[in-house]
Order: sequence, then structure tokens, then C-alpha cells
Amino acid sequence: MGPLEVHRVRFFGLVPAGVRCLAYLPRRRRLALARTDGAVEVYGLEEGCFQEKAIPGHQARSVEALCWAAGERLFGAGLSGDITEYDLQRLRPARTVDGFGGPIWSMVANGGGTRLAIGCEDGSVKLFQVVPGGIQFEKNLDRQKGRVLCLSWHPSGTHIAAGSIDFIRVLDVRSGRTVQRIMVNYHVPKPKKRECVVWGIAFLSDGTVVSSDSFGRVQFWDWERGTLLESHTVSTSAVLSLAVSEKEDSIVVGTSTGATYQLQLLPVKAGSQEKRWVRTKPFQYHTHDVRAVAHSPTALISGGRGAHQAGWGGGVPLPDASSPRSAWLPGLDAQLVIRPLMEKVQRKGYEAVLRKFTFPHRRLVSCARKARLLLFQFSQHLELWRLGSTNETGKDGEVLPVCRMPEHLLQLKSKVGLGRGCGRGLGGLCRPRSAPPRPPQGPEHIYCSCVSPCGGWVAYSTASRFHLYRVQHEGDGVSVKKVPGVPKLLLPAYQLQCASDAGRLFVGSERGSVHVLQLLEPGGCKHLHTLRPPAGTAEAVYLLASSADGNWLAAVSGDWEIHVYSLKHFKHHCTVPTYSCAVTALAIHPATNNLVIAYADQQLFEFSIPEKQYTAWSRTVQNCGLHKAWLERDSPITHIAFNPQNPAHILLHDVYMFCVLDKSLPLPDASTPLLNQSTLKQLPEHARQRQLHAFKICKKFQPLLFAELLEENRLVLVERPLADIRAQLPPPVQQQPFGT
Amino acid sequence: MVRRRRKQEEEEEKEEEEVAAVPSPAASDGEDAPEELSFGAAAAAAESERQLAGEAARRHRELLKEKRRRRQELFVEQKVTPPSPPIPSHPSHPQPGHKQPGSKSEKQSEGRVLKQVKQDKARGARSKGNYTAMHLKDQSLTGLHQQTAKDFVYSHLYGPGTNRTSANEFFSLANKKDPVKKAAVQFVDKSWGKCKKKKKKK
Repeated sequence: MGPLEVHRVRFFGLVPAGVRCLAYLPRRRRLALARTDGAVEVYGLEEGCFQEKAIPGHQARSVEALCWAAGERLFGAGLSGDITEYDLQRLRPARTVDGFGGPIWSMVANGGGTRLAIGCEDGSVKLFQVVPGGIQFEKNLDRQKGRVLCLSWHPSGTHIAAGSIDFIRVLDVRSGRTVQRIMVNYHVPKPKKRECVVWGIAFLSDGTVVSSDSFGRVQFWDWERGTLLESHTVSTSAVLSLAVSEKEDSIVVGTSTGATYQLQLLPVKAGSQEKRWVRTKPFQYHTHDVRAVAHSPTALISGGRGAHQAGWGGGVPLPDASSPRSAWLPGLDAQLVIRPLMEKVQRKGYEAVLRKFTFPHRRLVSCARKARLLLFQFSQHLELWRLGSTNETGKDGEVLPVCRMPEHLLQLKSKVGLGRGCGRGLGGLCRPRSAPPRPPQGPEHIYCSCVSPCGGWVAYSTASRFHLYRVQHEGDGVSVKKVPGVPKLLLPAYQLQCASDAGRLFVGSERGSVHVLQLLEPGGCKHLHTLRPPAGTAEAVYLLASSADGNWLAAVSGDWEIHVYSLKHFKHHCTVPTYSCAVTALAIHPATNNLVIAYADQQLFEFSIPEKQYTAWSRTVQNCGLHKAWLERDSPITHIAFNPQNPAHILLHDVYMFCVLDKSLPLPDASTPLLNQSTLKQLPEHARQRQLHAFKICKKFQPLLFAELLEENRLVLVERPLADIRAQLPPPVQQQPFGT
Repeated sequence: MVRRRRKQEEEEEKEEEEVAAVPSPAASDGEDAPEELSFGAAAAAAESERQLAGEAARRHRELLKEKRRRRQELFVEQKVTPPSPPIPSHPSHPQPGHKQPGSKSEKQSEGRVLKQVKQDKARGARSKGNYTAMHLKDQSLTGLHQQTAKDFVYSHLYGPGTNRTSANEFFSLANKKDPVKKAAVQFVDKSWGKCKKKKKKK
């Protein structure tokens, strides 16, 4: 293929929300993550780390604590005072129970996942029982003045340690009384007396209570005697989060400066029985506060916090002896960092790699190919831009001057959601029964959006509404008109896709169903049909792909089944053979109607829809196996596109690279380097032919959010430099670098 | 009263005599003879003192009277009569239709009684006070709690005492300390172009 003109788009001002809390489910190796804007995401850590589910947040929702209970049920609690159970199949909050204690600062589940304890603003610790169908209030434990900021169950479930301001107390669960009260702020001289806020706490099985406070100390207490066993000052700024490994021999803490530290229980002398806690490894992966950490068997996980919210509470690990631990550290810079522990990793390889996730694994950019427009999806608004253009040509690597700047055409703001008519019962007079969540105030977050290839239609969906707009291009400007009379579909729409001929809109909905809407010319739409999988499924559709000729539609639901439907007859055509991993991207080739699928473990498949079987090329790839360097990439492929000029090309991209896969060239074997573009450029023509292989990878543009090939050899790449995100974050803690 | 006064005078005289008889310790050591004090002078002094005391008492009484009067006036002022509520149909007024059922008149009389009670209540309980009335429904209690919670967190993470610097400064320093020196983050001052924007808006 000849030289490509690259539109390097860096005006997508996405600032991902910071990570506020983490919860690890050892049995399924899933990580739940809550962000400062109320969004909840679930990552599968088995193969690759793919964001399997994402529940968009809301302005009024704040999640301060997240925990798994009773198997795979996810509960969250926040400053609104409610405990919310999330429905991970329908991707929404399922039910809400008011805690009646004011804002809830922390929530932990006991060892068996049968009870939840919440720490409230009014100083009370309340117990709830997890029953099928919801949670039920059990009792109030002893209440003392001072907000309960962190909680931890003793592994046996008999006692709870609660951290407050200036003191820690241990409560007996059966009697509900405070059996020990430990003052934390004891040795600071009077004039310098500040409040000591206990941000994180953990209760070990040998009766040691570990606390982390705002003076930068991690302290170990004997709860029965109320004495201090050990004190480690790890930082000058606050230690905001704490997590203990399952075996209780390793603790990870996150501080305000972005540093995370590991403390390990090591024998004093080699071979001796006596063990002490020692601060072993410091890590500096974040620039801002690390408000949540989690410890998995093999790695340390941390998450960065973005702007406003503080997070605390370490994830208390659920007892599971099977998998090794990692610690997760969420930081303020919206990064999720997974740092494997080298001593737990068996072999040096892919598992030992540090991973950082900043961007969501969803497509946030839609491209109108014919009109050369880009639609950017933010959490509460959409922006439509027209690409700039240049009249000059140049050689490889040259930067061409832009004669027409990219224009910001349109900004659509999400409106306040529709209130769902659900009553709340009799207020505070009776035991709070589970109720559907209260309709929250404020504009709703956008689930998905799309723009038609001609640029004439823009659609987006929020939790309670579906919006469709007709966009008229008049000369240089645009005029927007909302399309009335949108059919009442089951909301929300989890994925939207416009057909190539702009005549139809596909809406991916819950229970695996896809609605087909006909877009009528002056500005209207009509519901044509609803496609459903034959076996039925409880999960929602999260990926859609339509063919260029308008005959086929592929839909992926949360159970990772790919169903292909025929749009001529509106019925199910076939199902792609099941694979054990999540699908990260899919697309249908315009000419051959082959479905190209990328999975979370970096495998690629090509399935022929008319023949209902994998293509020969795909079988060849599976027989030879993909190159090791390809399989060891960190980030999943989030978008697949095709070259209008050359049907043998497939364009794939992930966060750190984009690749043009040429099916006509041979596949690389294990000894050939995968990234050989730079070496190939230096070779003469005949030598080049011998070393060419199918994967042409370019890592020049990072981090990538979107890549698409337009007509006339134009390539659009949407990048989001991390420095631009960091410049917009809230103030970090000042550090005095050496030499300044 | 006159007897009392005479007794008082006698007592005073006696006291004076006693006082006069006792030599003042500061005056002398007892060597000199006591001073001669004529009766008239003593009597005059006593008289003047009595008058002074009487005037003081009178003034005090008058002051109290004044105070009482002022308080009374204040109470009278505060006691403002409320405007009489519009009585839609006074039961004493003849109704346009004579065909009234008995129950209606009973209701009206009850209403009248209630209204009168209300009026009385209004008149009696009305007083200028220092209070503001709020509709609790408008003030969302959860909102207030949430705001307090958020303020707590904000003050502990970003409040005074936390060593925070701006993002620009932090990253600019990092860029300059890098092995490959880069430009400082966000040179541009946000206030530039603000006047132009304002003009555009106008």
C-alpha cells in the first residue's frame, strides 16, 4: 500500500475519571472498580485484562466502597447513604437500600459473603444480611461519635475493627458492644495537634489490627491489650489505602504522593520462627493520590484518582487460597496499575509485566467516513468535529501544514434523566425494604453513541432515554434537529451502530436483543424488527457489527456468544463457535462478508458468514499460531477497520500500536521479529520481499483511542497524550526532588 | 409617720452625740479636749442629710415609675391587633336563600367558632421573634450530609496543611528534570484572550 496521509487527532479532550475503589473476587479472578463519577467496571484478569462490563455513572451517585458478596453479587455504597446492588447482566443498579446512617464511608463483606457491615457518617456500624433478592437490615452495632471511615472484619467473623478520626475501635459482633478503643493520636505534642484520620484498616487473623492514617504511618496494634506493636512511617503525606494479601504475609498501602509500598512479614533471621513486618518495596506508578489498592495473589493493583473525590479503604481480600495475590492500586490519575510480584511469578514472561490501564476498553469515537466527521463521546456530552485538510503531499515522516483547521461543529449535552415512577415506601417508619433506585438528579451519563457514515444522523443513549438527531450540513455550518417520536424501546441501549447506507440504525439492548430502526428521510424513525438469539440470554449486547451491503448483522452479548443475523429475512443466521474469552472487537469485511473477531487473549479469527465456518486463512493462523510478541501485548484490540482500496488489508489497533494485517503475505514465524517495519525501510527492495510478513505494526502514535482508514489513503488516528490528561488533574502533593 | 421621724431624729441625735463624744482616733491621742458642737449646727446637718436622703429616695421612686411607664407603653405598642380575616359569610347576616338545611347553619356556626378561635390564637400568639421558616422538603437532608462529607474529604486531602502544588508546576518540574528536557506544561495563561471573549459575547 502506498503512503498514507495521517490525520493525527489530538483534540479529543477525554479526562477519564479517577479510580475510587477496588474489589477483587478471587474465585473468578474478577476485579470490580468504581470511579469517581460513579461508574462501575468489571475487569476479567484471567486472559489479558479486558474490561468486561461497564456501568456508566451518574452525577448524583458516588461510590465510596465496593464489595463482592454471596458469590458474584456486587454491592456498592456511597455518600448518598444508599447501599446499591448492581445488576451485572443488565448493567444498571438493581436495587437500593437506604442505610439510614447518613453518608456511608465504607462497606465490607464478611468471610463467607453472607453479611455486610457499613460504616456511616453518624458513627454507627450497621449489619446487613445478604439474602437472595436483596439485603436485609440485621442490627446496629454500638454507635460512637465520629464518622466511621474504614472497616474490617476479623476472618472468623466475630469482631469488626472500625477506624475513625483519632481512634480505632473493635466491636464484638454478637453483643454489638465496643470491646476496645485505641487512641491513635497519642504522641503528637499539644501545639502541633492535628486530627489523625484513620484512612485504612485491616484485621488479621492473629488479632493484629493494621491501620493507616493521615500522618503517613502504618501501625500494627494488638486489639486485646490495645497496645501498639509496630509503627512504620512510610510517607510524609497521608496513607490513603491499605490491602492485605490472603495469606496475611503482605500488605500494600497507597499514599497521597502516588507512591505505593509493600510491607511483608519476614523472618528476623533466615530460618527463625519470629517474624516481623518490614517495608520492602516502594513503587511510584502514579502521580496523584492512590485511593484504592487491592492485593491479589500475584500482583499489587492500584488505581489512580482523578479529580475530586477521595477514596479510601483498601479492598479487604476475600479468603481464597487458590490464586496468588496481586495488589491493585487505583491512583488519582485514572490509571489502574497491576504490578505483579516477581517472587510470586513462576517464569519471567508475560505474567511479570507491569500493566497500566488508563483508557476504557470501549469505543468512544465514531467516524463518519464519507463526511469525514468524528463524534467524540464524553460522559455527559458529545462533540462532533470535522477533520481538517491539507493540500500538500510529502514523503514518509513529514508533517504537512494544515490548510483548513478541524472544526468543532456541534456539542450535544446530555439532559436530565426521566424519573422512573417508583415510590420509596413509608420513609423511616418501617424497615427499609429494597426499592428500585431513586431517580437521580442531574444529567445522565451517556452509554453509547454513533454517527452515520454520511454524517446526517447522530444517536446516543443514556440510562433512561434514547436520542436521535438529524444533522443538516449547510455549507460550512450545521443545523441540528431532534427526531421526535422515537419508538419506546427497552432502555438503555448498550451499543449503537449505523448501517453503512445510513438507512438503518441498530440498537443493542438487554437480553441479547437487537432492535432494527429504519431512519426515514426528513427526520423520523420507525421500528422495523427486534432480533433475538435463539437460546435466549440474560446478558446485554455490548458489540455490534454490520455488513456494508446491509445483509448481515453480528451481535455479541455478555456471555461472549456471537450471533449473526440475516437482515433480509430478519432471522438468526448462525452462531460463531464459542471461545473461552471475551470478544474485544469485531467487524464485517465489506467485500467478502467475513467476520473478523479479536479476543481478549489477543487471538484473531476470521469467520465466513455465508459459509458459516472459519476461513482458510483463519485456520492457517490458528495452525501456525500467532507470534509471541503479538500475544504478549498489554491492551486489547478495540477497533477493526478495512481498507477500501485493498480487500486483503485489515487495520487493527490497540492503545499502543496500530497494525495493518496483510492477508496476502506470509505469517511471521517465531524467530522473525514482529516489529520489523523500521528494519524493512532500510533494506533494498529485493531483500525486503524476503522478510515481509503480514503484520505491519507502527508504534509511533501512542496512546491511541481510535484508528480508521478513510478513502483516498487517509488514516485517522485519535490520540490522547497522557500529559494532557495529567495537566488537567487536581493538585498533586508537592515533592521536593533531590537537587532543587 | 411623724413619730417615726421624731424617733429617727432622736436616734440620729443620739448617734451624733455619741459620735461627738467619741474622739476620732485620727485626730488626737486623747490629750486635747473634744470640739464643741452646738446643737443647732448638728441639727442643721441632720436636717440636710435627711433631706438628701429623702430626695434620693424620691428620685429613685420616680425612676422606677418612669421605667414602669415605659415598659407599659412598649407592651401597648407590641400589642398590635391583627387584621380581621375576611369572613365569607357571616352567620348573622341574612342568607340569600332561606331554604337552608339545619346542618349547613350548624357548620357555619362551627366554622365561625373555629374562625374566632383561630383569630384569638393568631392574636395571642403573634409576636415579633427572631426566626425563619424553612420548608424541609426543599432542603434535601441527604444533600446536606453529602456536602459535609465531601467537604471533610476535600479539606483533608486538599485543605490547608496538605502540601499541594498545582498540576502545571508539578509536571513542569518533572519535564525539566527529565533526561530529555521538555517544555513546561501549559505555558499559556488562561486569562489571555478573556477580554476578547468578553467582547465577542457582547
